[in-house]
Amino acid sequence: MTLAPDEDLMLQVRDGAGEMLGVLFDRYQTPLFNFYSKLTGDRTLSEDLVQEVFLRILKYRQSYRPGTPFRAWIYQIARNARVDHFRKFPRQTALEPEMLPPVVPSDSAQEQQEVELLRRALRMLPEDKREILLLCRFQELKYEEIAALLGCELNTVRTRIHRALQELRKSFHQLTKGTAS
Amino acid sequence: MKCEQISELLPDYLQGSLSPDQRRTVETHLEQCADCSEEVAIWQKLSLLPVEQPGPASRARFEAVLQAYQAGRSNQPAHNSQWRKRFSSWNVFHWLRSPLGAAAWSAALLAIGIFAGLRLAGPKPPSPDLAAMQSELANMKQLVVLSMLQQQSASARLEGVTWSTRDQQLDPRVLSALLHTLRYDPSVDVRLAALDALSRHSAQPQVRSSVVSALQEQQSPLVQVALIDQLVEWHDRDARPHLEKLRQSPNLNPAVRQRADRAISKLN
Ligand SMILES: [Zn+2]
Repeated sequence: MTLAPDEDLMLQVRDGAGEMLGVLFDRYQTPLFNFYSKLTGDRTLSEDLVQEVFLRILKYRQSYRPGTPFRAWIYQIARNARVDHFRKFPRQTALEPEMLPPVVPSDSAQEQQEVELLRRALRMLPEDKREILLLCRFQELKYEEIAALLGCELNTVRTRIHRALQELRKSFHQLTKGTAS
Repeated sequence: MKCEQISELLPDYLQGSLSPDQRRTVETHLEQCADCSEEVAIWQKLSLLPVEQPGPASRARFEAVLQAYQAGRSNQPAHNSQWRKRFSSWNVFHWLRSPLGAAAWSAALLAIGIFAGLRLAGPKPPSPDLAAMQSELANMKQLVVLSMLQQQSASARLEGVTWSTRDQQLDPRVLSALLHTLRYDPSVDVRLAALDALSRHSAQPQVRSSVVSALQEQQSPLVQVALIDQLVEWHDRDARPHLEKLRQSPNLNPAVRQRADRAISKLN
């Protein structure tokens, strides 16, 4: 097992050691898969997109510059891969409920129901709001990195997260009321 | 402080990056303001969403792409002309099995991939020339995939499976080759990858029935578990009797039996 920082590994990949990408794959395939699957609700597509990201890293590895935070760089590629995919296949099936993974049984039925409602509430958000929440809540990106990724001001990131949370809260409440009555 | 001012601080509060003073200010406000504290609550609730795991064949697919890429990179310039000359000869299949052929078709596949990528990047609709070239490439790709699935080396067959997944629609010949691979390929990795590829085409009736029958034939616990998980993912209730039968077979790996039990209860 290697504990080398992502950036060092990526520099080795850039300089021809393609096999080092395997370590980065092991570190990032699950986070990226979750980014895509929570964004699109489609497992198969998410797996394809993860593969596409790593293929692109190979193709564009020469463009990686020392000092670039790898995490921010790979999410840039991940966002582009998704945009390109939907340009090629305009979404016909995005976010059909039946494409979502089955709810994992947990100890408490109530928690399970909350998870399901939360999932649905997240799905009801416009995509840009869902994305920013995923980036800051699950992908461990700093606000500065998100600002760079989205090409906006740091304060705009804060405002957008606030608005996204407000809207998520509203949807979640509606859904909770809907199941209680 | 008003909610408006607090809301400017909240995102940093959630990341834990406020100064102690600011944090106290926010916390005091949260105690009296239901609105703002609900925003914090929904943020915390998000952690309930489970981490989802990619399919078991995902790593193998990556390996195959990496290998194809590296093979393609080291051979692309040298064998370009060979590729043209040899490809026009009738004995394509034989040639594809040779090491030289293997290297060159990796390069060709890569070229197809990059070509597709470039086309994708351009906003213009394809010209008739491009369309013709694209369909030619698609045929060539099928040919290559079919031949790859018959290679001696497991990693080459794995690549074949991987490349078959790049198409939304499966050519019927590729489909039946994949079904054959799922049942009879000697390598566990290749069978797993084939299952992964086939799982994308569950609308095809043969796919589901092949998965069900593979359940009885497979001896590898790894493949058995993947097959069971696939049936659960499809919510395939017709598979229940087959799962029952499987769990009663003697010498069944205990982990597989446990998986089958869980699947049976999930499919209820
Ligand atoms: Zn308030």
